[in-house]
Amino acid sequence: MDNTHRLIQSSYKLKDSVRYRRAKNFFYDLLENPKARIRPYFDVFMILLVVSSVWVLIYDVRHDMGLFDDLFEWVAVTIFIIEYLLRFWIYNDSHKVILSHYERAEFINQPFRAWPALREVVAKKWEYMTQPLAIIDLLAIIPTYRPLRFLRIFLLFRLFKLFRYTRSISEFVKVLNEKRIELFTLFIFMAFITFTAATALFFFETDVADGKGVGSFFESIYWALVTMSTVGYGDITPHTTEGRVVTIILIVAGLGVISFFTSIIVSAFGEKMHEIRAQRVFSEVERKHIDLIVCGYGRVGQVVADQLALDQRQFVLVDPLESNVRLAKQKGYLAALGDAADSALLESLGIATQAKRLLCLTGDDVVNVYITLSARQMNLEIEIISRANHRENVTKLRLAGADHTVAPYEIVGLIAAEYVGQPVAFEAIYGMLTGQNDVGIEAVRVRSGSVLDGRCMADVGFRQRKLIPFGVVREGGCPVDSSSGTYEIEGRCFHFNPTPDFELQAGDLVVIFGHEYSVVHFRDCLERGTL
Amino acid sequence: MGRSDTLIFGCGPMGQEVAEQLIGRKLPVYMYSSDLDRVAEVLAKGFDAAVLDYTDDDKLRQAGIGEWVKVIFCLFPEEAKNVFLTLSARALDPDLKIICVSESPQSGQKLFAAGASKVIDPYEISGRKVHELIARPMIVDMLEHTVFGKHLDIAEIEIPLDSCLSGNPLSALDLGRRYNVVLMGVVDVEMSDSLIFSTSGVDHKLDAGDMLVVIGPTVEITRLKGDLEEDRTDQLLGG
Repeated sequence: MDNTHRLIQSSYKLKDSVRYRRAKNFFYDLLENPKARIRPYFDVFMILLVVSSVWVLIYDVRHDMGLFDDLFEWVAVTIFIIEYLLRFWIYNDSHKVILSHYERAEFINQPFRAWPALREVVAKKWEYMTQPLAIIDLLAIIPTYRPLRFLRIFLLFRLFKLFRYTRSISEFVKVLNEKRIELFTLFIFMAFITFTAATALFFFETDVADGKGVGSFFESIYWALVTMSTVGYGDITPHTTEGRVVTIILIVAGLGVISFFTSIIVSAFGEKMHEIRAQRVFSEVERKHIDLIVCGYGRVGQVVADQLALDQRQFVLVDPLESNVRLAKQKGYLAALGDAADSALLESLGIATQAKRLLCLTGDDVVNVYITLSARQMNLEIEIISRANHRENVTKLRLAGADHTVAPYEIVGLIAAEYVGQPVAFEAIYGMLTGQNDVGIEAVRVRSGSVLDGRCMADVGFRQRKLIPFGVVREGGCPVDSSSGTYEIEGRCFHFNPTPDFELQAGDLVVIFGHEYSVVHFRDCLERGTL
Repeated sequence: MGRSDTLIFGCGPMGQEVAEQLIGRKLPVYMYSSDLDRVAEVLAKGFDAAVLDYTDDDKLRQAGIGEWVKVIFCLFPEEAKNVFLTLSARALDPDLKIICVSESPQSGQKLFAAGASKVIDPYEISGRKVHELIARPMIVDMLEHTVFGKHLDIAEIEIPLDSCLSGNPLSALDLGRRYNVVLMGVVDVEMSDSLIFSTSGVDHKLDAGDMLVVIGPTVEITRLKGDLEEDRTDQLLGG
């Protein structure tokens, strides 16, 4: 009874101990946490250790390294043992198991019994020990049995996980697994042929003169496999006519088996290839921290992608059409084949974690609304820009959670209407606004303490710099008694065509028109603090 | 059949959108399509529309091309139809303004070759707009609310004959101070159709017939127009 009491007391102590928790967290970060910064370093170290210990093992076969070999072996094994024990330790919290048992017993007013709790503790740890990777770990630290030491190379598999190689490896295993019925059929067929041919050969060739015959049934099985696989070492050859007939049949059957096997594997990979490629894209997105997802590589998507590439921005494209994805890849863009309406796909592209912007640019409003809605549910912060092909869908997209909508037809309507009225002006200005001319619209931020801070518009000398001041955007609402020419824009105040005595403040955004050279020169002057 | 200056061919969503925008600017339009159902659809929405076989030049002439029509829009969803219509219309009237939509840069070239005055590529423009939204959200917001919203207008104002502005260089104008407008530039209609920006460094000498391109609130633009018509030197050039 006293022991039980002590068990509970120490469990509570562990639960309360900050140091214990911190230590456990540290080792969790080091060994398991995929997001921890320290983990990659540890993994690289372990890979080097494993590779070098295997190398020493190989080198040792032919060379005598003396004391160094043993010393290195001991160091490596010690580290492996420590790693194994640490993983064993951090797999779960045993004190929590005990405490949950205890608290449950208290709750239903039953006496606490230590044995079931301890049994569960052991069961949990056993669960860890029987995991394949843990078994490989264990095998890698059995140094006494020399041939088995080579199994340490299995440890590489676990460490590859960090470099996301297991995605490909698990993919490979999945491919084989999916074809297990075919492979099993093939195996049965092969076993049948091998057995029949081996028996026949054994039957015909055992009593051949000169002792050239097949010695044992095992030898004839070996011969059948070597012949069937088209390897054909030629160390055992048939001498009787009957034996040669068996060989002919076996060779023909062997060709069938080999081609059947190859076709199973090839077709399985063919079916799986796009998934494997998608995995590549996902890991690239994660590795490069790509935060911009573009759904739809149609006409609008193509223009956007080209523009973004010009800006050297990173993005990932999603399109359900293979031809579009191929086109994108030809241009060197990162593209995933798939339906963006599939939330699993968006999830894999990091919509809930690292994505900051989503563009829905498909030609189908229903799809756009659906993507917008599901993306908004997965991530409340993300900025969504959606294409609206029909005017009435703008409100639906807004309701679904789009921050901005772009409507191609509406833009055409607007341009067409203005073009009829005042063709040149509108075209020129629209070109300017969309950055199609050398002359463009730019915004310059007034930084605190810069030369612009506190200066009047007249003193900046826009005219000499061949710039036209268009307006100033200032944080905060518009003053109530303001004259004409100030407009409220989403909590900010836009001062159109500010008067010469308008004083600039830090934080203002000065919107100017001008040739790109003038703008660049102006920015340059501001950077250097000379006007 | 109405005698409107502006015809829209194609009654699809694009055609309806353009018609709506034009009617909103008090420009009467008439819509044509070869598809009876489409015509019925837009008629039901309250537009003026009729069925017309665009492949027949006589029918086009009856619709007013080569006579009173000044602008046509080719908004068929099919590329080939737009090219055909553009060619026919251009043959009937060399001065007609023909505005087309295109789906791709290549088809844009074909339409220009067929004689279109302006080709609008909705996808190109939308794509650029999406990009602007990402690259410069503040500016896009500002423009959405002002120039493309209700607050500010873009206007072309013609300098009348014998105006006091004739002979003055572009740089001498200080419209920004006298009127609450920003002078973007000037179009010398006699020379070319392109805009000479007021910042281009070329100090253009104004003369009658030139178009001033300004952005500003409607009231101020109206005031500027009025002063130009009345040729009020004191207002326009100061003392």
